[in-house]
Amino acid sequence: MRKWCAVVAVLALLVPLTALGAGAQGATIKIGVPVPLSGGNAKMGDDISKAATLAIEEWNAKGGVLGRKLEIMTFDDACDAQQSVTAAHKLVDAGVVAVAGGYCSSAAIPASAVYHDSGVAFVADASSNPKLTDQGFENVFRVIGRDDQQGPYAAGFMTKTLKAHRVAIIHDNTVYAKGLADATKAALSGKPGVQVVFFDAITPGEKDFSAVLTKVKSLKPDVTYFTGYYPEGGLLAKQFKDLGVSGKFMAGDANNDPTFVTEAGAAAEGDFVTSTPLPQDLGTAKAFVDRYKKRFNQDPGPYSALEYDAVNIVINAIQRAHSTDRAAIIKAIAATKGYKGATGSIGFDKKGDRTTILYIPYIIKGGKFTPYNVSS
Amino acid sequence: MNALGNRWVRGALVVAVIVVALGLPIVGTPYLIDVGTLVLVYIMLGLGLNVVVGYAGLLDLGYAAFFAIGAYTTGILMDDAHLAFWWTLPVAACFTALSGVVIGTPTLRLRSDYLAIVTLGFGEIVRIAATNLTFTGGPEGLYGIAHPTIGGFVLRSPQALYFLGLAFVLVVLAGSYNLARSRLGRAWLAIREDEAAAQAAGIYPVHSKLMAYVLGAVFAGAAGSFFAVKLTAINPSSFTFIQSVTILMVIILGGMGSLPGVILAAAVIVVLPEVLRAFDQVRMFAFGIGLIILMLVRPQGLWPSRIGQIERRAVAVSEASAAAGVAADAAATTE
Amino acid sequence: MTVALQQLVNGLTVGSFYALIALGYTMVYGIIRLINFAHGDIYAVGAFLGLSTYGLLRLLHVDNPILTTLLGLVVSMGCTGLLGMLVYRVAYRPLLHARLSILISAIGASLTLEYGLFLIYSPSFLVYPHLFDTPGMSLGDISVSGLQIIIFVSGLVLMAALYLIVHRTKIGMAMRALAINQDAARLMGIDVNRVVALTFFLGSTLAAFAGVLTGLYYSQISFLMGFLIGLKAFTAAVLGGIGNIPGAVVGGFLLGVLEGLAAGYFSSRWKDVVAFGILIVILVVRPRGLLGERVVERM
Repeated sequence: MRKWCAVVAVLALLVPLTALGAGAQGATIKIGVPVPLSGGNAKMGDDISKAATLAIEEWNAKGGVLGRKLEIMTFDDACDAQQSVTAAHKLVDAGVVAVAGGYCSSAAIPASAVYHDSGVAFVADASSNPKLTDQGFENVFRVIGRDDQQGPYAAGFMTKTLKAHRVAIIHDNTVYAKGLADATKAALSGKPGVQVVFFDAITPGEKDFSAVLTKVKSLKPDVTYFTGYYPEGGLLAKQFKDLGVSGKFMAGDANNDPTFVTEAGAAAEGDFVTSTPLPQDLGTAKAFVDRYKKRFNQDPGPYSALEYDAVNIVINAIQRAHSTDRAAIIKAIAATKGYKGATGSIGFDKKGDRTTILYIPYIIKGGKFTPYNVSS
Repeated sequence: MNALGNRWVRGALVVAVIVVALGLPIVGTPYLIDVGTLVLVYIMLGLGLNVVVGYAGLLDLGYAAFFAIGAYTTGILMDDAHLAFWWTLPVAACFTALSGVVIGTPTLRLRSDYLAIVTLGFGEIVRIAATNLTFTGGPEGLYGIAHPTIGGFVLRSPQALYFLGLAFVLVVLAGSYNLARSRLGRAWLAIREDEAAAQAAGIYPVHSKLMAYVLGAVFAGAAGSFFAVKLTAINPSSFTFIQSVTILMVIILGGMGSLPGVILAAAVIVVLPEVLRAFDQVRMFAFGIGLIILMLVRPQGLWPSRIGQIERRAVAVSEASAAAGVAADAAATTE
Repeated sequence: MTVALQQLVNGLTVGSFYALIALGYTMVYGIIRLINFAHGDIYAVGAFLGLSTYGLLRLLHVDNPILTTLLGLVVSMGCTGLLGMLVYRVAYRPLLHARLSILISAIGASLTLEYGLFLIYSPSFLVYPHLFDTPGMSLGDISVSGLQIIIFVSGLVLMAALYLIVHRTKIGMAMRALAINQDAARLMGIDVNRVVALTFFLGSTLAAFAGVLTGLYYSQISFLMGFLIGLKAFTAAVLGGIGNIPGAVVGGFLLGVLEGLAAGYFSSRWKDVVAFGILIVILVVRPRGLLGERVVERM
């Protein structure tokens, strides 16, 4: 008999608990922030949700928007397709007027279909895979550049500035890294005298890449470009030097994190990273960086300023639309032009991609990411 | 626990499950319905793996591979060949059955623990292949898989997809219920209890095991086909080792071989992390502790099958007698 | 030729880590027939405890790298060993006769350890001090770092020590007796719980050793670091013949070298497919693993 009671109790407990949090529509305006809070990318999710918190706190201090206070709802998507879809449904149910966030493209793309079906605006923060906006959803925007914009930029930098003829490209078989690697390879293939001598993937989560690098070494590249994320980037940079591979080590924008340097130690010296400028290096973002540091007592992460802009664009659109109607907000976001954000001027093209996007090369000098002066 | 009370509670629970299952899409919000649909997916997967592990006693740690093969077959056929959803189902069934035969034939003679690692390896091979090959869409997977249609009606809303899932579950449920009571089901039971004795009674173990393996694979393939049209986008990250372990959790948590147990445990596995979502950072930590406590309190699972209980008692008795036998031997040698 | 030798060096380094962790899987499996899912996470705990010890010693102004490293190893191995025993006591001991339930309990223990580290330390990657970043010695075109040699040699010494414990001491004899027949061993007066707990202690100690060396050699640690390597180490244990100590060592080195060769001569993307493919073929041809002995089937 006890067994049945236990079973009934479990079922009875589960049903109302799920309903909890789904209801309760208050007077506040809710903005959804789906980010990874568990799994290997939890740190990035934390940085991003902090920036969103800062943005709404500033608006609320000024009395909110349309006379109502703002609230963000942060949900864990774990960078996973299935979990991000569930989180998306939950956000839509919770009555968010728009969504600003998302880190992994593999989670953002399936979730974007849910937002599309429910007519909710989705301003992606850090998901750079071209497919996200190529789906043709009118409600999807992004404040970060596309991988097929960064790819050609990286290719140009390698061949023009670094004078590379033999290039090795390493990705990690994630949606983002593969996209950037493909775009870079495509851009290089059009250049005379340039050869992609190596193109393969490592497994994220592993620590020893010496086998791959030994093979790369035997191919004598001028530049080795890694398009994955910083945890593996730091390890690769270190093992690259330990094995004495020829040429320069260069990495994509997801490596623009101090951990890259602390992991690699002295071996990171002289390595390059292509990236959108860090908030610290943008004149426009100085005020944001100061306030972020004061509020959270730590430096903003590489995507914090972008998220700050994404949330502000949504609020700005609510203000211009004079409404919290989801469709009106989508229209207002699409009409955004020349918005002065922390990451520079922001506007969107027909697909929802950012019209002006800036990449700069960084070089690691004295253990710091230093903007690299191309002309010198 | 007298028989009458047992029957009443059982009946009441069945009614409760039916009420929840049918009431959810009517009163639930899209989020709740989506969670409910996910529960249905895990019920299908649990029922399928139950055939392999619960009925035939073969430990499988790479079950997500068949789930993936079903999902990718449907996804590719709908995306590239523009086949209707319903036509992809028999193809997916054939592919998963075939892959079950290919991996099962050479390996089913292995000891169960080695079989576990072989299946684990197979699961990883399928996932990595899906990531590396181009026709599977690489790490990005497949997008824009069409919604299924019935006549002219497009099953797009969460409610419609939920009912589609429910239909799948009912078919799979009826299938496993009948399997357990078929000639084949009794053969599995016999093999699981004593392979040598079963063989002596004229059952060909490898053949029966292979049937379990193939049927389990087909169930997972159907779940995969449904998963593909539900999510409309699939990528390799849904078919990891963790996924296989989660499905295994469903059947062990529910109580091996027990159909109501699978349903209950699928609900727990999907709903518990959702409930814990409110606790954000401690979510997975609490889930881990919860699993340990659940197992310590109910090692036989939430709703163990009656056959299972009888067996356990029998095993306990045989172990006790074996121990007594050893004791007698020991006593004999010391004399 | 130099490339091949370099790949051999790479493979042996990775293989040392696989072997050290595989030993924990194989010992526990040999005695209580449990695939200890939490073992990879025990390795991660070892790495974090080592980092804590370094931090503590820095506060106490103990700066000698060799002294701090030895202390870090000892503290981490000791504490992680005790933690391994605790996990056994809480999560496994009550379930010894429920073969599948104990597997779920092990998964629960694994999640608890992973996300315990997540909560106590950090969700992000932590970095070990760069103490022994000596430039690699170059033998011709092959580079071998001092740390690589230390890892390889100390790993072998520990494995040999374990072998001696299991095959030359009384407690080792008790372990082997348990592996053959638990009930008979109990009747012979062996304190089963104590011996199994000690097995967990030894296995966890070796994992912690691997964890601290991982921090020193690769410099990066994270709360999920044990998952993938745990999977590989378990594979290595099966490859060599699970329950067999020299088998785990051979399996570990073999897997490391195979992966290196697959990545070097075929494709890094497909290296795990090659590794698992070879595993499947070996098991089909030789069902008990390379060095496995005949073990009676028990469900």
